[in-house]
Amino acid sequence: MKILVCIKQVINSDKIEYNAQTKTIKRSAQHLINNPADLSALEFALKIKDAYNDAYITTLSMGPDECKNKIKELIEVGCDSCVLLTDKRLVGSDAYSTAYALAKSIEKLGDFDLILCGESSLDGETSIVPPQIAEYLNIPHIASASDIKVLDTQRIEVERKLENQLFRFEVKLPALISVKKDSAYLRLPKLSLMLKALCYTPQIVNLADLENFDFSKVGIEGSKTLVNRFIEQSFDNNKCEIYENIDDSQIECIANIVMRLI
Amino acid sequence: MEYFLSEEQKIIKKLAKRISDEYVSKVAIKYDKEGIFPRDILNLLAYTELTGVYIPKEYGGFGGGVMEMCLVVEELSRNCAGVAVSYAATALGAYPIILYGNEEQKKKYLPKIAKGELIAAFALTEADAGSDVSSIKTVAEKKGDYYILNGSKHWITNGGEADIYVVFAVTDKSKGPRGISAFIVEKGYEGFYCGKKEDKMGIRSSSTTELIFEDCKVPRENLLGREGTGFIVAMKTFDRTRPGVAAMAVGIAQGAYEHAVRYAKERFQFGQPLSSFQAIQHMLADMYINIEAARSLLYSTCRMIDSGIKDFSKESSACKVFASDVAMKVTTDAVQIMGGNGYVKDYPVEKMMRDAKVTQIFEGANQIQRNIIASEIIKEY
Repeated sequence: MKILVCIKQVINSDKIEYNAQTKTIKRSAQHLINNPADLSALEFALKIKDAYNDAYITTLSMGPDECKNKIKELIEVGCDSCVLLTDKRLVGSDAYSTAYALAKSIEKLGDFDLILCGESSLDGETSIVPPQIAEYLNIPHIASASDIKVLDTQRIEVERKLENQLFRFEVKLPALISVKKDSAYLRLPKLSLMLKALCYTPQIVNLADLENFDFSKVGIEGSKTLVNRFIEQSFDNNKCEIYENIDDSQIECIANIVMRLI
Repeated sequence: MEYFLSEEQKIIKKLAKRISDEYVSKVAIKYDKEGIFPRDILNLLAYTELTGVYIPKEYGGFGGGVMEMCLVVEELSRNCAGVAVSYAATALGAYPIILYGNEEQKKKYLPKIAKGELIAAFALTEADAGSDVSSIKTVAEKKGDYYILNGSKHWITNGGEADIYVVFAVTDKSKGPRGISAFIVEKGYEGFYCGKKEDKMGIRSSSTTELIFEDCKVPRENLLGREGTGFIVAMKTFDRTRPGVAAMAVGIAQGAYEHAVRYAKERFQFGQPLSSFQAIQHMLADMYINIEAARSLLYSTCRMIDSGIKDFSKESSACKVFASDVAMKVTTDAVQIMGGNGYVKDYPVEKMMRDAKVTQIFEGANQIQRNIIASEIIKEY
């Protein structure tokens, strides 16, 4: 089974800085992390690989060259190959442009039985890239999966948990599934794989490598959405009240209030 | 301080640090309180392949040496020395096989130890034979295809939890230390029992028990090395594992120091943080100096051993003595800096102080280490 997992390198949420002029997020390499929901998707892929020896996992990322170091971490947990789509012309792409570029890359990389994505990225939170990729590729899509089971080489079962309901879908492959954050936690790396990652370089794909690529669909110009303005919210520390040396009954009282609020 | 570790060693340290900070730190206080053996953490170490760092490549390990083993022990000890010693005791049980096992024994046990499928232990100490190894009373009598072991062992780390034990017994009483032999005893052998579990001051998540041998039948092929070489097997093993105790000590000291520095910056008295008082600053500075000195001696010793140099008893003992004394001093000072909070079990430093004590005692008390160092020095000049 050939599995592709889309993994975005995002800025750690407490380290986000904006470029006020371009209204985009600054990506400084030292604060990059692999998007948590995408890592949940990767864990599902790895579980399939645990069960089926012939499963082969490729990851696809889109971003600047600085993403390479974070991509290496994917090899450390057991991915077979990693691809980075990088091109200056992609800077400023919105969800629509991103989905188009990713779909074209996937077409180039080959036929995949299963494509997994995180439900949304920590920085954009749009949740629309995965369904758009599926639309471009003309394959079925299920969003917000909480569990994935392989039934046979042709079919998988996907669970989606809502507050009071559980949906169970059976899907024919190839299909694209977006996975809910925290539905699985990525495993620890292995020493031998960390050594492999040490000298691993992700495969680089540029837009020029993609067939029949419509350049007018990407970048700030090609994007359908435009960010009008940023409003930064700051947490005012002066509003925090710190209580020290509180006793058990006070803790219980606070816990009760919190429980009512959530 | 920059220690110029190789890329591989940096990776091992990073991986062990991650497990220590993300997993060991969360269970350290609970496991200490309830005396829970850290099998879950050992399973993680096995999954991540850190169980095999010191096992030769041809037997399924990473092919590292004492340095690699010490890096793992040090990082685990930063959060819990009990967990670290449970890992390190397997190395203590594996080294006699690495050093003196025959091909069959190595093939049978080392790959499984590397994979974390087998936990090992080292059984030398007895009620009346600790530092004085030659006084052991457990006997092994050859009968046909078996050796019959009788006697008991005390304070055996990983006792009851280990799958294989390297056991030392007297095969020829008339020959003194040259009459001791080493055997690989598997859990479940007839006549082999696990006795009382010790209620210890520190390293409480590790298992320390008595072992009892009552006409225990050990197959002849489980003799390690030749008959009568047990004393050498034990001493050469200790030379390689004493740095492990030093690594444990450095890790405990580092953990206590980190807690103390953070606390000194957060705790306010007289309207200013503790860290602004010179009395505290000097204690923190001394902690740093001592820890780096201990780590420098430890890493230098490891590099010396792994380079293939033959005689390193003096250096191995020196790093164990120095690092364990540093750990005791640093943890005591960490408790002092943290005052009442340092003395209660809500904070980990009181545990670290209890854990540090054993590093001055086990794998040869510091007094016997000084004897070893002194005798080597006197021989040299």
